[in-house]
Amino acid sequence: MASFFAKRLGYLLLTMLVVSFAIYMISEFTPGDVARKVLGPFATQRQVELLTEQMGLNRPVVVRYVEWVGKILTGDLGYSTVYKTEVNNIIWNRLGNTLVLASIAFAVIVPMSILLGVASGMRESSRLDRSISLFSIVTTSVPEFASGVFLTTIFAIGIGILPGTSTLDRGGGWSIASQLVLPVAVMVLYDLGYVVRMVRASMIEVMTRPYIRTAVLKGLSFRDVILKHALRNAMIAPFTVILLQINYLVTGVVVVEAVFAYPGFGRMMLEAALSQDIAVIEAGALFSVLVAVVTQIVGDFGYMLLNPRIRFS
Amino acid sequence: MSDELKRIHPYLPTLLTQLQAGKVDRREFLRTSTLLGLSAAAAYGLAGCDEKKEEQQQSSSESTSTAATTTQTATAPAENVIRVGMRVPALDNPATFSWVYDSNIVRQCNDYLTRTGVDNVTRPWLLEKWEASADLKTWTLILKKGIKWSNGDELKADDVIWNLKHWLDETVGSSVVGLMKGYLLTDYDTGQKDDAGNPKMGTKLWADNAIEKVDDYTIRLNCKEAQLAVPEHLFHYPALILHPSENGKWGVNSIGTGAFTCTEIEVGKKAVVKRRDGYWGNKAAVDSIEFIDLGDDPAASVSALASKQIHGLYEASTSQYAALQKMDHINLYQVSTGQTAVARMQPIHDTWKDPRVRKAMRLAIDTEKVLQVAHLGLGSAGEHHHVCPIHPEYAKLDFMKQDIEGAKKLLADAGLPNGFETDIFCKKDPDWEPQAVQAMAEMWKQIGVSVKINVLPSSQYWEIWNKETAPFAFTTWTHRPLGVMVLGLAYRSNVPWNESFYSNPDFDSTLTKAEGILDVEERRKVMADLEKIMQEDGPIVQPLWRAVFTGFDKRVKGFQIHPTYYLFCEEWSLTA
Repeated sequence: MASFFAKRLGYLLLTMLVVSFAIYMISEFTPGDVARKVLGPFATQRQVELLTEQMGLNRPVVVRYVEWVGKILTGDLGYSTVYKTEVNNIIWNRLGNTLVLASIAFAVIVPMSILLGVASGMRESSRLDRSISLFSIVTTSVPEFASGVFLTTIFAIGIGILPGTSTLDRGGGWSIASQLVLPVAVMVLYDLGYVVRMVRASMIEVMTRPYIRTAVLKGLSFRDVILKHALRNAMIAPFTVILLQINYLVTGVVVVEAVFAYPGFGRMMLEAALSQDIAVIEAGALFSVLVAVVTQIVGDFGYMLLNPRIRFS
Repeated sequence: MSDELKRIHPYLPTLLTQLQAGKVDRREFLRTSTLLGLSAAAAYGLAGCDEKKEEQQQSSSESTSTAATTTQTATAPAENVIRVGMRVPALDNPATFSWVYDSNIVRQCNDYLTRTGVDNVTRPWLLEKWEASADLKTWTLILKKGIKWSNGDELKADDVIWNLKHWLDETVGSSVVGLMKGYLLTDYDTGQKDDAGNPKMGTKLWADNAIEKVDDYTIRLNCKEAQLAVPEHLFHYPALILHPSENGKWGVNSIGTGAFTCTEIEVGKKAVVKRRDGYWGNKAAVDSIEFIDLGDDPAASVSALASKQIHGLYEASTSQYAALQKMDHINLYQVSTGQTAVARMQPIHDTWKDPRVRKAMRLAIDTEKVLQVAHLGLGSAGEHHHVCPIHPEYAKLDFMKQDIEGAKKLLADAGLPNGFETDIFCKKDPDWEPQAVQAMAEMWKQIGVSVKINVLPSSQYWEIWNKETAPFAFTTWTHRPLGVMVLGLAYRSNVPWNESFYSNPDFDSTLTKAEGILDVEERRKVMADLEKIMQEDGPIVQPLWRAVFTGFDKRVKGFQIHPTYYLFCEEWSLTA
């Protein structure tokens, strides 16, 4: 067990190191220089040169990379050219906002998808299965920017019971809770169908297993067969898929956040990318990778707990 | 009367005679006379009109709404807050602002020395008045007495001088340098060399007394060259007067002279300004103004307006126009402006060396059609000389119509009977820009010129807009009150913003001549020559002039749309 974690931790560190180098080099070689981005398009060349010297940007790239890694390790994420402040002052707040959005969505997606997936998969081709499958395929295939506009048109502009944007500002008399409904709904609609399909497929597979037939033949009630025999095994495969949704929810919410003007991590990354705010892009990318690797480790660990056969390998 | 006027400026009596003879219109009289230092009240008196009424007429004639803007507030609602959808950028360094919206929040708390109104007339603001010498080389700026900063200090000449020097300090990085370089600064050798071994040049004040303190309320600018547009320059968006004790930094609770104090800023999210006591002007009617950042997605702003999370938008895009029109609680405001974009060709490259090729590119364009296709027909068709019909010295030439045969002939004369291939750079947003480029590219095809379009994100475009690496590109230019100002900024040889690297001694000398002429009638004659040079030889294809528009809740009174989107929130009020 200990060696498992040690190995995984080493793998995590190595990944982060490689990624950080790649990110630094890529942002280093994008056109345009940092001083120009700080000063904006209308500064004179002389002004740019003065700032370049001041910021020490004329030193070799490797020196600056090592310095950057050192700073990251001490918790200094650099200075944002868009937000004109330490990245630390902005990124945690934005992550917090996204985390609120992501956790609510996650809390809705997981039970709903398991419920619908199991209901759909336990009797393949039943009318229930057909309707759930149709629902999942339709919602998943509508992109977020489209469903965002649909839902806003219906609920904000049409009926007028929900606010059209979610700026997390109480202005206009809309509570924060009411502002979260539409973005969460869009994320749930988009993501739910996919997970439902995964759970359904796994459930169908489990239901064809001999031990389920044995259980049925033993005279167990259908309810007990599902709850006591099928469910646990059916959850092994979708477990990883469900954990991967954390990745999507935290780092993939760019579209939802832009449509609803939600001040979260995704919108911050979008704006940083559009205006080439290198420090924010680097810190954000590192964080995204961290989330991906950590969820993978948690996934592997959970997989082990659920499936005794690989526990000791 | 005449003597009194003569004392303020020798040209004023002539101007008055011209007004009476109907040679200059009232608006032009107001603009020029206030420019020459006549106080606004006196100017309006001479022109035989009432200042307030004039402004109101202006706004109601230029906004699509009629009754709403002129009615006054009856009762203020319980929550007396107006929310505006606008980007909330970092505001810590006003002198280096790149965009107008950067200045909109700070402007509520700090003032400019002058103010160009929605009618394109520049008036004194923190200044009581200004006086220009006959040769336009000496400008005396006289401050209003008794203006108090929010910390209780009185606004004095020293504060203003500190600000002027701060903007012009090369280490600060302010774009005011670009405007004032010609008449207040001079180049000097810094003693350092760049990579190619050429000496690095810096800028400094051209003379020790360039900015001179006369007394506690009077500042004198002793200019190197004649300059007509000093008051307009003082309204350039970074030229906000800050308290010297804060050393150019600005933020929450900064000291200001404005009607509001900033109480909250969260970049990318929200900024709040609250009304303060002790403001020198008319007290604001609303308790506070909140600026809400809705990002760049035009749909988000429309949704926020629809669900009344905000009362109005800083700026609306053409993609929002139809939606705004449909909202019953929204007034649509529109104003014609000198905002435009030009496809500029750099004659330093072989492709664009021949003036005949450049003119052929202009002749290929049906500018009226481009205006329809790219900007919903809102605005007016371009005439390829970058002087706008609303500029006072605009001279009407024969409209440069599309002439495919003429263009083909010019290309053939230039040795390119089969046309050529080239690339154009343009920005991705706002969306009318790539649309205009696409429309023009289709028209250029008709003369055999095949243009490949390179669409860049805005930030990347602004990296290259004035570089030689973009021989052909489509750049937006904002509204400026005078034609000479635009031409001087963009097309004079070797100025920092000369993105087309255009260099024509004939043009330069004619422009200098125009800049030294006060008489608008006379200046217009010279302007006609300049416009002709631009059409025959110039480096640009200019498809359109934009009318800009935005939407505000009908409950907001006193809002007027400004050609450069400047917001003056102390004029606003809110009805229940």
